[in-house]
Order: sequence, then structure tokens, then C-alpha cells
Amino acid sequence: MKCERCGTRTATVRYAEVVDGSLTTWHLCEECAGERGVTGSLTSLAGPLVNILMGLLEGGGEAVPPEADPTCPRCGLSYGEFRRVGRLGCGTCYDTFGAQLRPLLRRIHGSTEHAGCVPTEVSEDHQRRKEIVKLKRKLARAVQVEDYELAAELRDTIRSVECEMGSVQKVDVDTRNNDE
Amino acid sequence: MWTLETMMSEAAGWLDASGPEPDVVLSTRVRLARNLSGEKFPCCSTDEAAGRVRERALSAMSKSNYLTNALVLPMEDVDPVTRRVLVERHLISAAFAEDGAGRAAVAGEGELVSAMINEEDHLRLQCIRSGLTPVDAWRLVERIDSELERNLHYAFCSDWGYLTACPTNVGTGMRVSVLANLAGLSRTGRIAQVLKSVSKLGLSVRGFYGEGSSAQGGFFQISNQTTLGQSEEDIANTVERVAAQLVNLEHEARGELLKSDEHRLEDEVWRARGTLANARLISSAEFMDLASSLRLGVALGLIDAPDLATLNRLLVATQPGHLSRTRAQRTTARERDIARADLVRKSLAGLN
Repeated sequence: MKCERCGTRTATVRYAEVVDGSLTTWHLCEECAGERGVTGSLTSLAGPLVNILMGLLEGGGEAVPPEADPTCPRCGLSYGEFRRVGRLGCGTCYDTFGAQLRPLLRRIHGSTEHAGCVPTEVSEDHQRRKEIVKLKRKLARAVQVEDYELAAELRDTIRSVECEMGSVQKVDVDTRNNDE
Repeated sequence: MWTLETMMSEAAGWLDASGPEPDVVLSTRVRLARNLSGEKFPCCSTDEAAGRVRERALSAMSKSNYLTNALVLPMEDVDPVTRRVLVERHLISAAFAEDGAGRAAVAGEGELVSAMINEEDHLRLQCIRSGLTPVDAWRLVERIDSELERNLHYAFCSDWGYLTACPTNVGTGMRVSVLANLAGLSRTGRIAQVLKSVSKLGLSVRGFYGEGSSAQGGFFQISNQTTLGQSEEDIANTVERVAAQLVNLEHEARGELLKSDEHRLEDEVWRARGTLANARLISSAEFMDLASSLRLGVALGLIDAPDLATLNRLLVATQPGHLSRTRAQRTTARERDIARADLVRKSLAGLN
């Protein structure tokens, strides 16, 4: 099969992209694929997935303006680079790009809340965090219905749970840093 | 003694057709993606850091009761043909067979449990079992993961669970896939409609060798698409329930085939066995076609030999890497077609 771009060389790479929500597949030669930013066999495999992933993101019209391209302080990956390769560089990226990832995760998984297993060492802390999230929801509802007595009670409970957490060493999201 | 040689000369345990629904479901695979806290993910890591991750992961695995005597293969010491063999045995991914820093494959005895170190994530732990058994397979992986967790500090966040390089795996980091033969649905033309409803239930469908591979011989992989927002047990249950429905639909379709023209089907099955038992040259595609017919015949009771386990083992043993394994030189397609025909003939010898 000839390359669908230059029409002369043999097509060796299959490249898929999502344009306006529909998937288009191209058969390209190495050179033309390279010019499109697709190189090597790994990328030709990863390409469609990345494009589908990014298609999800573009679909929401949440393109990040270049001046607001955050960079992970730990691994140096920028959000723009993540959008290009579709892979995050370290656990801290999830913190750094939290605001951008949240809608993406919702679109991929239909949820943004982990409901599975928890490592034993973080399970107490995890329980407290989940409790705080729940209490805060209740608090918001109490404020909405102007039940200020309940709201004050909830606020105190949240404070005391947060206090307990303060005495527990924080262990989630890659806070330790030992390779630089 | 469990060595690379003994492993490669025998068939993987999960091919023995001993699990539930063996006539439709070949195997169930559950894998977990894990990363070590405090280390960059493999794509962004240095060679030194990748080496450190490998040491830490291997040290934790050496303390696991489920991985005693496991085979540890540092990938830089593994030649290209052996890498190919490992891919064909579903022990490593095609991407992992390419070069990368600090990579190691780990295979437990009988290949029921295995792991990749420094693939896309630091650790990919998997369990493959015969037949339709997602919940049991998940329980086994979970036990091993808990053992490892005593010695490994995983990257985890309360909101998003286990953190992975690709956001499509975050949360449980778990992928449950069932490898099923849907030859009946394929032949009755109902497959497209059935697979469409499977994907509407949030599951994805792929070919025999995963992402991007085709559905050779009527084999499809059905797996969960999402990993965040549901517990591992719920995910495993969903896959098990949907796959069980697929098994029912496949049985119905096979029954219809038998009813519509039993003689034609019987003729096809016996011809397939005749060709497989006598051919001197068989391409991979021809083998898959004939083996699929034969498999259907065995499942429908039109023919009683070979058994399903023999057919399962041949699926892997006739792949190019396995056929090239004993040759010193790189083999040509023609040489492999000869070797494949030899192997199939020997496996079917003595049938009447």
C-alpha cells in the first residue's frame, strides 16, 4: 500500500486521528508519519489511543491556552506535553494538573472518585478524607436550607476530623522525593 | 526446577481447559497497574531510577508466597525470539518486548501469576486462569498485591486511587479480560450486534493479542473499560455477568448452526481435522480457520477428539515465536509453515 500523503513511498504506519468527533485512519510512510509527529512503532500503537483520549478532551472544548500551560514541579512534564503523549510523568502530575484532569477523568470513567481498594498504610487517613468529603456535602446542604445549628455542628466535626488527620503523617500523592 | 527452558517447553497452565465454560471461554486475565511512590513513572525515569525500581519490586516479590521459585528475566538478557515467545504466552506486552530501561519479566510456576516491571507503569501484576473466572482471579491478584504492599509504598491518592501513567488506568488500576471464542455468533452474523451491546454496557472488545489485534479464529477479548468509581469486586462481577450472558448467546448461536445444516457443519469439521492431521504446510491464518472449525465441532459434540486443551495449547504453540524457538537462525515464513504443520500433525497423531 502506498502512503496516502505523499503517494510514492510504501505505507508502514497506520495513524488514526479524531477530527470533529469522527475517527479518520491514515496509512503513512515513515517520513510522512514523522512529519505528523508520529515516530517509531511504539507511537504508532499509542497514536490512536492518544488521539481518542485527546478527542475526548477537545470534545469538551476545554483547550488550555498556551500561557496557562502548567508544568509539574517534580518531573517537569507540561500539560501540553501530556496532551501530546497521553501519559503522565509521575504521581505529582495528578496534583499539578488536578483541575484539568478532573473533567477528563469524568469523561473517561464517568466518575472522579476512587471506590476500590486502599493500601493498608493509608486506609485510616483515606477513611477520614472520605468522611470529610461527606461532612462537607452535608454542611453545604445545611447552609442551603438555613439550618445553621446543624451547620455549626458539622463545621466543628469537620475541624476535629481534620485535626486528627494533622497528627497522622501525610502519605498520599507522592509527597516523598528521593530521586533528585 | 522451574526454568526458562522448562517453561517454554511446556504449555501454560491456563490453556488446560479446566475452568468454567471451557468450550467458549479460553481464559480470564486480571491485571493490576501499580507505581511506587516517590519515583517518576517509567516514561520519565532515568536508567538509574528504573534500576532502583526494579530492585525494590523484585525484592518485594521474592518475599511473596505466591511467587516462590518465580522466574525472573531481566529483559536486557532476553534475546528477540524469546521475547516474542513471552508475548505469545501473554506474559509480556508487545510494547514491553521493545527495549527499555530496568525492565524485567517475572513468571510464577505454571504461569498463573506473572509481572512486568517498568512497562508503562512500574509494576503490572497479572493472573491468568482457565475458563470464566473473573472474581476468583481478582481475589488471587488481590492477595499477592497485599503481600507486595507490605514492602512497597505505592503511589496512591484518596480521590483517584492508585496513580498510573495513563489516566485510563487510574483508580483500581485493574483490567479484567475474558478471552472467548464466539465462532457461533460470528457465523450466524449476530456478532456485530452482540458486541455493540457489550460496549454499551461499558466493556470493550478486542482481538486475541489485545489492543489493535484482529479477532482471529473467532476469538475476542472482553474487558472493563473504566477503572475509576467502582470497586474491584464490582468490576470483576460486571465482567463475569456480561461474559456469562455472552456464553449463553454463543451456545444459542451454535445450536442454531447445528439445526440449520448439521451435515454441512459435520463435513466441515471432519475436513478440518483431515487437513490439520495431514497437511505439510500450514500458514497461521489457515491454521486459525481450521482450528476454529474443529473447536466448534468438539464443542457441539460432532467430533470427540482432539480435546479442547490440545486445541488451546496449539493456539499458542503454532505462533511464530514458538515455532522459531528451537532454531538457531531467524526462520522464514515457509520454514515456520512447515514447522507448524509438523507440530499440528504430531499433536493430532493417533486420532481415529
